Amino acid sequence: MAAEYAIEMRGITKTFGSVVANKDVNLTLRKGEILALLGENGSGKTTLMNMLSGIYQPDSGEILVDGTPVSIRSPQEAKTLGIGMVHQHFKLVDVFTAADNIWMGREKPGFDLKRGRYDEIREMAQRFGFEIDPRKKAANMAVSEKQTLEIIKVLYYGAKVIILDEPTAVLTVQEIDKLFSVLRRMKEDGHSIIIITHKLNEVMDISDRVAILRKGEYITTVNTAETNEQALTEWMVGRKIDLNIDRPVVEKTRPLLEIRDLTIKNDEGAVAIDKVSFYIRGGEILGVAGIAGCGQKELCEAIAGLRPIQSGLMIHKGDNIVGLPPKTILEKGISMSFIPEDRLGMGLAPSMSITDNMILKNYGETKGPFVDRKAGRAAAQQVIEQLGVVTPSTETPVRRLSGGNVQKVLLGREIKAGPNVIVTAYPVRGLDINSSYAIYNILNQQKKDGVGILFVGEDLDVMLALCDKIMVLCHGKVMGVVHAHKTSKEELGLMMTGALDLTYKYEDKPAGIARDTNISAQELQELEQQESGSQEGED
Amino acid sequence: MHFHIVKRDSCPFWKKLCLYLAAVAAALVLGGLLLLVMGVDPIAYYQRMFTMGMVGNKIAYKTFENYLKVFVPLVLTSVALSLAFKMRFWNIGGEGQFILGAVAAAAVALKLKDSLPQGVVLILMCLAGMAAAGVYGALAAVLKVKFGTNETLMTLMLNYVALYFLIFLGETQAEWNFFLDTSSARPVFFNFGKEVAFPRIMIGKFGLNVCVLLTLLIGVLVYCYLKYSKHGYEIAVVGDSAGTAHYAGMKVNAIVLRTVFLSACLIGLAAAFKVGTVGILSTSFTDDVGWTGVIVAWLAQLNTGIIFVVSALISMLQHGSTVAAATFAQVDSSFADMLQGAILFLVLAADFFIRFQVVRAQKGGSVNGNG
Amino acid sequence: MEMDKLGVVTTFIHNIVVYNIPLLYGTVGEIMVEKSGSLNLGVEGIMAVGAIFGYIVGCYANSLGIGILTAFLMGALCGLLFAALTVSLQANQNITGLTLTTFGLGVYFFVGNGVKAVSWPVMNDYENIKNGFADLTIPGLSQIPVLGRGLFDHNIMVYLGVVIALVMWWYLSRSAPGLRLRAVGENPGAADSVGVNVKRYKYIHICVGCGIMGIGGYYMGLNMSGSFNSSCWINGYGWIAVALVIFANWNPALAVLGTFVFGFFNTLRVSGSSLAAAFPEGLGWLAAVPTQLYQALPFLITAIVLVVSSIRQKGSGQPAALGLNYFREER
Repeated sequence: MAAEYAIEMRGITKTFGSVVANKDVNLTLRKGEILALLGENGSGKTTLMNMLSGIYQPDSGEILVDGTPVSIRSPQEAKTLGIGMVHQHFKLVDVFTAADNIWMGREKPGFDLKRGRYDEIREMAQRFGFEIDPRKKAANMAVSEKQTLEIIKVLYYGAKVIILDEPTAVLTVQEIDKLFSVLRRMKEDGHSIIIITHKLNEVMDISDRVAILRKGEYITTVNTAETNEQALTEWMVGRKIDLNIDRPVVEKTRPLLEIRDLTIKNDEGAVAIDKVSFYIRGGEILGVAGIAGCGQKELCEAIAGLRPIQSGLMIHKGDNIVGLPPKTILEKGISMSFIPEDRLGMGLAPSMSITDNMILKNYGETKGPFVDRKAGRAAAQQVIEQLGVVTPSTETPVRRLSGGNVQKVLLGREIKAGPNVIVTAYPVRGLDINSSYAIYNILNQQKKDGVGILFVGEDLDVMLALCDKIMVLCHGKVMGVVHAHKTSKEELGLMMTGALDLTYKYEDKPAGIARDTNISAQELQELEQQESGSQEGED
Repeated sequence: MHFHIVKRDSCPFWKKLCLYLAAVAAALVLGGLLLLVMGVDPIAYYQRMFTMGMVGNKIAYKTFENYLKVFVPLVLTSVALSLAFKMRFWNIGGEGQFILGAVAAAAVALKLKDSLPQGVVLILMCLAGMAAAGVYGALAAVLKVKFGTNETLMTLMLNYVALYFLIFLGETQAEWNFFLDTSSARPVFFNFGKEVAFPRIMIGKFGLNVCVLLTLLIGVLVYCYLKYSKHGYEIAVVGDSAGTAHYAGMKVNAIVLRTVFLSACLIGLAAAFKVGTVGILSTSFTDDVGWTGVIVAWLAQLNTGIIFVVSALISMLQHGSTVAAATFAQVDSSFADMLQGAILFLVLAADFFIRFQVVRAQKGGSVNGNG
Repeated sequence: MEMDKLGVVTTFIHNIVVYNIPLLYGTVGEIMVEKSGSLNLGVEGIMAVGAIFGYIVGCYANSLGIGILTAFLMGALCGLLFAALTVSLQANQNITGLTLTTFGLGVYFFVGNGVKAVSWPVMNDYENIKNGFADLTIPGLSQIPVLGRGLFDHNIMVYLGVVIALVMWWYLSRSAPGLRLRAVGENPGAADSVGVNVKRYKYIHICVGCGIMGIGGYYMGLNMSGSFNSSCWINGYGWIAVALVIFANWNPALAVLGTFVFGFFNTLRVSGSSLAAAFPEGLGWLAAVPTQLYQALPFLITAIVLVVSSIRQKGSGQPAALGLNYFREER
């Protein structure tokens, strides 16, 4: 008799040092269903799935595939068992072609590489209903192409159970629809699918059942048809919480920071930000939405003085800040914090203590050749108390703190400096809901104090609730600046893909140019000259 | 039942110490077995090696002086390298920097020994050695910050360029070559040891070279520099995350250049100390301190204090084996290299158990495993 | 007179090959190791170990084949040590490599001096070794004027080295295991996730690569007629091989070319004066160039190649994960 479940996990526990990632977790996957694995960031979803794909080994517990107990000691064994996983960070060799990325994992590839492999891979992809260029290198692929390649890869290896880790995080609304139709088709073909996510609407949309994890522990599994978003949230977060983010109304001041016709190149020398104009007033939060890698990072870096600009104006309270060193820009009260994907790369020195991280931006202000750690320790103590950072001491390396606390330390330091403009990118990246709310509150408090905030975000729901206005970027171009309470996710999604351009929605002026600008006529004239000059240069 | 490995959060100090000691002991046992095969009493050999033959020796002070001659260049080079390593700048060009420092210091000594007082000459030697080595080290740093040239491979290449330059000086008899002794028919380096030498403080018969004191002083200074100064703070931040340093408004490139220059300067100083102590160049002048220094700095995990301890032990091994070779003729002096290698291999292995933990799966499908 | 001049040129070309093929072995071995993502700075030591054991065992067995096999196995044994420390025990590759050099040179002198104390085998006493290492003239090709005797009249290990390089080129760029090996060196996480046994691939290729280096060491010993003294046979060639890997852009076929370029300068050191004597008008200045400059040139050239390739930054064959250890459970 065939077993009911494709996968059964019983009593799985996994620890990393002192951190318990999964504690006594049970999970079942029926044949031919789509199971959503729901949980907040840090709830142990990925860890659990990595034990199915052979990356991690459970400390204890049992895994059954088709009713047979197995031990999955390596990805190779997972593959033989018919389990394939599409990781959140794609596992592709950049310098290889699409075909070779698949071929390298083929069971019996023969000894010599035949040219025929390209055609074979293309035909195989077509059989599954995908169109790919087998000779294209992974490095030259867009994110959605890479994801498609990853899916083809697991299908090609004959996976019956397919796990997708946060597949929608990098996609636009339209691309998500496409992905979901692929998943439905795969399900009809008899595949069993687990999709990891923390987005409720997607859970409701795609899944047959939902399994919920909270802080590493298994909560329950329910049929999607018999539940709703509110109930799922409660299971996920553990208590009834208010899903509404505050948007206090604050009297706005004149523009604090005005950006006009800004053009920036990225590290590869391609145009990352293309003639972008916008402004931030004191007491408002301007959101920046866009697909990952649409110039957000370059924009933040340019404002902070970390990246040279090609042309354009950046006026802070009437002063031009173009070309100023990062230190001077800091002193003017512009704070920038950017949480990269690894969450520790920029803004913090992970191996150093909280104290040492506190003095990062002002260690040079004291006299003499020595660092004043006393002041740093006091600042650390203050931030720990005010923002409720959980840490053994002020001397604990930042790396040892949990994600939420790391980000509190970072924002705490920025706010302590008393900035008048805060540029913050992905400040809640990887945080659970409670920590995220703590961060939103910090930002709102700053807004009430008259600070102008540029909030680069990922989650459109959050941005719609938190921001006053939202600027949408698509491939470095502004697609418009819309009022958060007047727009919708669908509209934003269309703008993000470039299908909808609202730059000239208001006929009297293009989006992003303030009526009461601080930019002088002379500066505008210079800008014009600059541009005509750069055009001549191009000819 | 099967095992897998996981990373440790931290490892208690006593456990670390025990593991390292066990590694050293295991290496000594292995070496001892080899000695037994050769028909040498390992205990007698090790005793001779570790005491460096000082016990019951009338001229033990002499041995200790010689020991310090090995110790000073090694420890100073290791401390210097640790500065660059802290910044994750993998300067393995200690050999080349040491050579250029030595050549510059020797040039000063040879050119000025007759015209200036010895004290002034010595100071100028130190400065010249530091400048030459510093510039040579900074070259790799400039290329790194300007073009992103891999510094490990670059400094490696520069080592050999410097080495052949030294050999060129040592083997080319010509009018201009003031490095050679003109009174000799064969090309040999000029020995200025009688005219230029660092002063020694006599404690009984034992002469304590001022270089030893200066080295200790530099050790303390570097420790404080790294721990308390703004520069030290910058080095730590750059080493931890260059992106963060940049973001905090630090001039990362300038910090890298400055620190590598300083690091190479100290190596040049170590070379000048050695030149002013032995009084003559040779084509094997470095005694491999540039290589050994890399290993010492890494073994000591860039901790200045521990660098002194590790250097003292490695010097003991190296000098002790030369001493022991005099008594135990059948044991080649290369035995020390092998022993040193074995110790390092085992310490590297021990390090694994400090960073990782071997865990046994408690329960699961392992019994009925598919494999 | 004219023939004499050509003779000098032929000898020069002949010497380029004879003296520098060990570089090819070292380089090709190191390319294989580095393609698996491991930066092994122990080439010098590994070649020394392969050399001393290969020479002594080969002589005692009176068989070139056994000598080559021993050198290969001892080199591979060093590779096994390197792999055990860096792959299984996650030790720092630079430190392990440097230590391997110290250790290897220690073993070389320890064993060499030990054997010498008893009785040193002299190569020419062993017929099979002497004849085995004698030049083999390739009929036909060797008749080409000037180049023929220079390129096609060599001992068997020269041909073996070139064959190994070409086979390696094919293996890396055209074979399925080569594809997987490159994947391991570029992105071990990706290779692992599709079921490539990363550890096994690393172990095998590190060992085989180091074995090839060992053969190169053995060649050097034979080329010096096995005369053992205070300077090591390898004499820095291991480090040149590390440099040559970069020069050849991690391509074994280019390594053959690189060996000739590096070898050209290396050989000027020995043949410079005879070239200067044969062509006093054109090449007379060669006699005035210090030999040490030729010795330093490979390193200088590589330094320049390093800088140029870092400026260009494109098309580098350097494996992306070179020097980084892979730990599957890394979070």
